[in-house]
Amino acid sequence: MARGQDRKIVTQLNPGCVGCGTDKTLMYIRAEGPKDTMHLVWDFIYGPPLITLVIGETNSSLVVNWNGTSISDFFFNGTIKYSFFTSLYKLYEYNDTEDVGYMTPQSPYHYDSLEHLTWTRADAVLNDKEVMVRVDGHFRHKPGTVEVKLRYLPFTDYASDLPHLIHTANSTLVDVSLVNLTSSRRFNSSRFALNMVLLPTDIQQADELHFITRKSLDDEHTPGVFEIIEIKTPQSFAGEEGGYLQFRPVAYTDPKREVSSSTNVHMSPFNNTGSNAARVLRPLAVNKDIFGAQTFVSFGMPGDGFYTKHNYTAWSFTAGYGTPPVEGFSLFVIIIISIGLGVPVLLALSGIIYVIDKRYKQRNMPQRLTDNE
Amino acid sequence: MRTPRMLNVTVKIYSFFRYFGVRLGTVIYMTIVFIGAVIFAAGVYINAFWLMILGRFIFGIGGESLQVVVNNYVVLWFKGKELNMVFGLQLSFSRFGSTVNFWVMEPIYRWISNYYAGYERLGVTLFIAAMTCFVSLLCGIILGWMDYRAEKILERHEATGNEEPFRLTDIRHFKSVFWLLSVICVAYYLAIFPFIALGKLFFERKFDFPPQEANNVNSMVYLLSAALSPFFGILIDKTGRNVMWVIISNVTTIGAHFVLAFTFLNPYIGVIALGISYSLLASGLWPLVALIVPESQLGTAYGICQAVQNMGLATVIILAGMIVDSYGYLMLEMFFLGCLFISLVAAVLIYIIDSANNGVLNMSPEMRDNVKIHTSSDNSAETANLLDNEEYTDQEEIDSRRPDDGDPDQSPAVPRNPAVAQSDRIRTRYLAQILPNTNIPYRQ
Repeated sequence: MARGQDRKIVTQLNPGCVGCGTDKTLMYIRAEGPKDTMHLVWDFIYGPPLITLVIGETNSSLVVNWNGTSISDFFFNGTIKYSFFTSLYKLYEYNDTEDVGYMTPQSPYHYDSLEHLTWTRADAVLNDKEVMVRVDGHFRHKPGTVEVKLRYLPFTDYASDLPHLIHTANSTLVDVSLVNLTSSRRFNSSRFALNMVLLPTDIQQADELHFITRKSLDDEHTPGVFEIIEIKTPQSFAGEEGGYLQFRPVAYTDPKREVSSSTNVHMSPFNNTGSNAARVLRPLAVNKDIFGAQTFVSFGMPGDGFYTKHNYTAWSFTAGYGTPPVEGFSLFVIIIISIGLGVPVLLALSGIIYVIDKRYKQRNMPQRLTDNE
Repeated sequence: MRTPRMLNVTVKIYSFFRYFGVRLGTVIYMTIVFIGAVIFAAGVYINAFWLMILGRFIFGIGGESLQVVVNNYVVLWFKGKELNMVFGLQLSFSRFGSTVNFWVMEPIYRWISNYYAGYERLGVTLFIAAMTCFVSLLCGIILGWMDYRAEKILERHEATGNEEPFRLTDIRHFKSVFWLLSVICVAYYLAIFPFIALGKLFFERKFDFPPQEANNVNSMVYLLSAALSPFFGILIDKTGRNVMWVIISNVTTIGAHFVLAFTFLNPYIGVIALGISYSLLASGLWPLVALIVPESQLGTAYGICQAVQNMGLATVIILAGMIVDSYGYLMLEMFFLGCLFISLVAAVLIYIIDSANNGVLNMSPEMRDNVKIHTSSDNSAETANLLDNEEYTDQEEIDSRRPDDGDPDQSPAVPRNPAVAQSDRIRTRYLAQILPNTNIPYRQ
């Protein structure tokens, strides 16, 4: 695989905090590369789940000061070259009365802000090959869980689970699962949508983000799904160092992700968030005048029985930096094609030579025989 | 769903059939097919998988046997006259029927949704589909009545079914070329029928076609086969050189699958190429069997081709579904390409082996005539005449008939035996019965 140089990583969970329990999750990954250092912060403490990606100079670092078990101070040491924030901001429930499978401006809706959920760390892996954390968000007054699983692998490969997205040393792999959510009694066609906010340093307007739907010939890793959707900031689009989101428009309605349990993902066009951005950004006063763009990601397809049919939806995307990785044909495909094309051609060639040789001999042989007689 | 087809070791059916005779046989098997279709629809309606399987099982038994009987009808009525053309027409019509099926079922299914939902919706659609079997049954009864009258008027005596069918021991005498042909029979067709079975979703997903449009693309292969088969038959009649045509169609099929797998070009391009290649291959391939296997063993030979092919298709259709679910459509296309490569290698090997043996398989008709003059004995020429019109059964793949089929029989590769002449007549009879038209299984 191309793209994304491997990085040397140092990981800290709640760096500097002594008495932090599973109710506090702030994962800090310092990934040092040859040219720069990438700081990844997965934050479930301040507000809604926030993935912070900051590119700084090689010797830059994050400083977190604690006041008991809450953060008092939070800043980067050293020059920051670029930053890109991805926030899972709100969870919308809407009534899909027309059964179209996505959220329209006409859909009645209500929402829960994800910052009001209680985020409890359910699992964590920290080593120099993989960093993973799973945090479950519980609603205060109703059942249902929003599970967020974040993974960082400092090399380029396909993720182990469907839809097998490509992760690189410059990206975070995000899985969001909506598990047994309580749907509103007022809605009989209830579906859920995630409200996401992106805060790249290189945009001033939401429409500067490039929304690209790419088609790939290869659905080997995501059977039946040929599309790849990429959201690129202007810098990433220009082939420079900017932020991106990448995903396949497929979600799963069963924890056992399979083709048969797949459903559609629909991402709305981005629009400006206005003052929300500052709120989301509160913990990371990296750049005060940073600008936010929001989108709604809805799940489902017509006639699927809505969310309540399975009470489960899981979706994956990667949030990263640089040029999004491009999938290539696997070795297997290349081998089959080479053998498949090579063998008949070789055989045909050798056959032709053999036949010509034989004919030539046949033509000459009888003559010689008669001559001899 | 397709496992019942494994039963289709067609041979068994034959012995069953002779107890009934053509007329009664048609009605009985048609009834079985109808019952099978209704049971399957009922299984869908109440969402009972086992009942669906049972329905398909019964359908399979009836369908395969029905083909045998219907072929017998054709031989009975058109023997020595327009047999080849009638078989051709029969094939064209059944292909066209498949195409119509592709076109109408989707609208019917949508229309049913006004009245039913869920399993019941699909079940009711299938009940409606089963009605076509009922219409067929009525046709069978009318045909029986017509045949009864014809028998009275012409004072014809039914002489079916006193021959010994299928001799497995014949297998020992088959040449390596025959086994290579069998390889093509399996490998090539694996890249056609399972593709059509899974094609609709492929066109929807990869090319974003709406369901009806996807169906139309998918039906192109059958439609082209219906339209082109007679013409390719004539082409190969005129040019001979069957092996070359088989190799060419293998190559163009590979090209078609390449276009479908590795480009986003309009799938009509790939599918039309696929349909043309498939028709061409069918026209070139099946007569080859007659060129290499002694006439007395032809029944066994075609039976084996047919059986291995059905066996291959029955298992691969399941495998293909698993490939799609686990590895995607690109891998499925790779699998099809792999099969085609095997088929191509087999074809090239046939060409090489044949060239080493005077190359009769790849001769033009004139060259075959020359060989015939040099090698044939009197009685074999007579046999050839006898067989000219009865050579082939309505195996769906035998899309065209070759008037010069007699010629190859004179090929030096086939030892002539005067005694064979007598059994030839018998052989052609049961040949027709032994080889069912495989349209029914693939028509989905």
